[in-house]
Amino acid sequence: MPSDVAVRTEGLSKRYGSVDALADLDLEVRRGEVLGYLGPNGAGKTTTIRLLLATARPTRGRAEIFGLDCQRQSVEAHRHLTYVPGDANLWPTLTGAETLHLLGRVHGSVDEAYRDELVGRFELDVDKKVRAYSKGNRQKVLLIAALMCRPDLLVLDEPTSGLDPLMEQEFRRTVAEAKQRGQTVFLSSHILSEVEALCDRVAILRDGRLVELGSLDEMRHLSSLEVELTFAGAAPDLSTVPGVRSAQTDGRVARLEVSGSIDPLLKALEASEVTQLLSREPSLEELFLSLYGEAAPSEAASDVR
Amino acid sequence: MSVDVALTAPAPAPAARSGHSVVFDRTARKSVRSGAVWGAIFGVVVASSAVSYTRIYTTQADRDALAKAFGSNHAAAALFGPAPQLQTVAGFTVFKSFMTVMILGALWGLLTSTRMLRGEEDAGRWELLLTGRTTQRRATVDALGALAAAAGALWLVVAVITVLVGRSSQVGFGAGPSLYFALAQAAAPAMFLAVGALTSQLAASRRQAATLAGWVLGASYILRMVADAGVGLHGLIWFTPLGWVEELQPLTDPHPAALVPIVAFTLVVSALAVHLAGRRDVGASTLPDRTHARPRLGLLFGNVGLSIRLVRPVVIAWVVALATTGVVLGLIAEQAGGTIAGSSVQEVFTRLGASGTGAEAFLGVSFLIVAVLASFMAAGQVTAARTEEAEGRLEPLVVAPVSRVAWLGGRVVVGVVVVALGGIVAGLCTWLGTETQNTGVGIGTLLEAGLNVVPPALCLLGLGMLALGVWPRGTSYVVYGILGWSLLIEIVGGVGSGRRWLLDTSLFHQMAAAPAVHPNWTVNAALLAIGAAGVLVGLAWFRRRDIQGV
Repeated sequence: MPSDVAVRTEGLSKRYGSVDALADLDLEVRRGEVLGYLGPNGAGKTTTIRLLLATARPTRGRAEIFGLDCQRQSVEAHRHLTYVPGDANLWPTLTGAETLHLLGRVHGSVDEAYRDELVGRFELDVDKKVRAYSKGNRQKVLLIAALMCRPDLLVLDEPTSGLDPLMEQEFRRTVAEAKQRGQTVFLSSHILSEVEALCDRVAILRDGRLVELGSLDEMRHLSSLEVELTFAGAAPDLSTVPGVRSAQTDGRVARLEVSGSIDPLLKALEASEVTQLLSREPSLEELFLSLYGEAAPSEAASDVR
Repeated sequence: MSVDVALTAPAPAPAARSGHSVVFDRTARKSVRSGAVWGAIFGVVVASSAVSYTRIYTTQADRDALAKAFGSNHAAAALFGPAPQLQTVAGFTVFKSFMTVMILGALWGLLTSTRMLRGEEDAGRWELLLTGRTTQRRATVDALGALAAAAGALWLVVAVITVLVGRSSQVGFGAGPSLYFALAQAAAPAMFLAVGALTSQLAASRRQAATLAGWVLGASYILRMVADAGVGLHGLIWFTPLGWVEELQPLTDPHPAALVPIVAFTLVVSALAVHLAGRRDVGASTLPDRTHARPRLGLLFGNVGLSIRLVRPVVIAWVVALATTGVVLGLIAEQAGGTIAGSSVQEVFTRLGASGTGAEAFLGVSFLIVAVLASFMAAGQVTAARTEEAEGRLEPLVVAPVSRVAWLGGRVVVGVVVVALGGIVAGLCTWLGTETQNTGVGIGTLLEAGLNVVPPALCLLGLGMLALGVWPRGTSYVVYGILGWSLLIEIVGGVGSGRRWLLDTSLFHQMAAAPAVHPNWTVNAALLAIGAAGVLVGLAWFRRRDIQGV
């Protein structure tokens, strides 16, 4: 029985020349969990995946998949996973059906009924040659190939690039099904709504380093809440209330950003007559942008695979 | 305000260098240097032929004997072109170098233009360029202009080397004839640049385009061979591009009128390419493209089956080439061998390691062609494996999971089998050819000769795999570098008096000239051992390194 930890990295690092593509990554993904892996271009997402898949060798540190060393036991580790890369490079002279057959044979276990169902759901013309496929259709071949094997771990690197919105919805459904079946998903994506909808936890990379890791709720606690208050009379000055990071007043309306507990604000409002209170949690996109807004402009520049 | 100024008086086109010059510059940058390098190689081949003749055939009697032996030999003419004036340096130089240079030049032309046109289109860069201020038609004209510049560079370098060599008192080519000879050498490259440009418009991929152009070259060579075979069909020479080049008859009996079909063919084919470029969608083909197919799952049982499926079309083409070469060599061996026996040409053959006489001596030397083809086949296997990695198709397999050793090991096994198959087919087909002429060379001898070309090719395969493991991005430089070097040394050193250690660096020089002599199995075992060591070290490195893209 494999370990209950699907992915574990310890001090995982990769250096290309003088650039740290990934530095000291410590990460644990539990079995059955869907982890969103975020970061701007060049942050180290694909590098992490290449190190997990042993298509690149770490400069330092180690990684395990279900307790198997990613480098020394790569073939055994790969038996537990399938992978969808962002660039769908396949054999141009094979048809979709031939490609699915080949990848299934190499992996060894295929749920053929599920494969046929996926072909229908993704509306893939499998008799077409790969060279005649659009990017989106090539991506579908790889998605079906990955899902049809029902692996313990799905490693997905921007898997929906090139898919139309309908197919993206279908992709979300298949990932939800995989989660229900207890499969683990490591999802690197730029589509934040996708991550928000699918993932139990989110890891955010910046400049090769892990800067945030947690559930969306946990992350939201770290971020500020937007509160809009409408008073019966003129809005009071709330800028000195603990936790209020910024306050704007406009006649009877006050707009606040509150971080941490909201209790001091509620206590401060006891003396006023509030006619309306609107609050909104930040979306993942806002969390992401607020994190990267703090970064120096040069930090998102180096694009290293 | 500056904004107002910008609105009311827009600056002249920001791209003063409009789109088409970008296409020209890009294509020229990549192809002119390659043209110059090949020009230098051709120049060295020409120079070495001329100089070696002056060293070996020092007396008029020697030269007359050579002319007598080969001058009217149709078999030799079919293979290497006619040899009208072998008693002169000029005649020998043309006989020795012209056909080799012609074929290499044509190959360079078709590979370069399909790479610069269809290859760029396959990679998606062409479409990007077309979003600039140009059209598909104009961009094709510009690319063709740049390719013409590359052919011009090739001509210039050959011309300079030929003129310099010609100044030697012993060689004595005039400047005019040297420039004309260089022009003749640039003719096949120019025509096949145009052919490649046309097939780039017809086919759906670069590979298809190059294959199509390759068939044109093959047909052209065979037609020329029939025309020169002395079977009363010499008129066919005017129906083949290589025939027109041959008819230029540089240095011996110049016939500039043959330039007319060459220039006309180049222009018409180029114009057709430009016309078709304007009529089709980017990425589409003019010939109907089969985009759908019923699944053929037979070979797709795993990694090795996939390798076989992927290399099959190319291997079939190579095996057909080897079989044809074998049959042709077998057919002409008896006649060619008859003229060698007792002639002074035997000195050349002896120098090349063929101590036997007659047909076996001729085949012993001619099997160098088979060895070169087999080595090209091996080199192709190595670069095909590297291409899988560079273009990202290895990752889905390695993660599937296929161990890296199993993948590369599988490619090595497939490579070994196809090269061995090539050698056996060449030996068998040569025997078939000789049988029709009652030459009397045994099937065992020729099969042995066929297998004798395998060790150098496998040594190259092993060294290529070493390069793939250690320096993946340099793989094709290494394999084609070793192959080119070995070929050059063989051409330059075979007839000349090269230094022993230099000759020993050629893979082909290590090979015994079977069937003229028995294969040297000790040397063959050493070549195989070097190849095997290359494979093992390559595999060890490949296991440990990062997978590397382009």
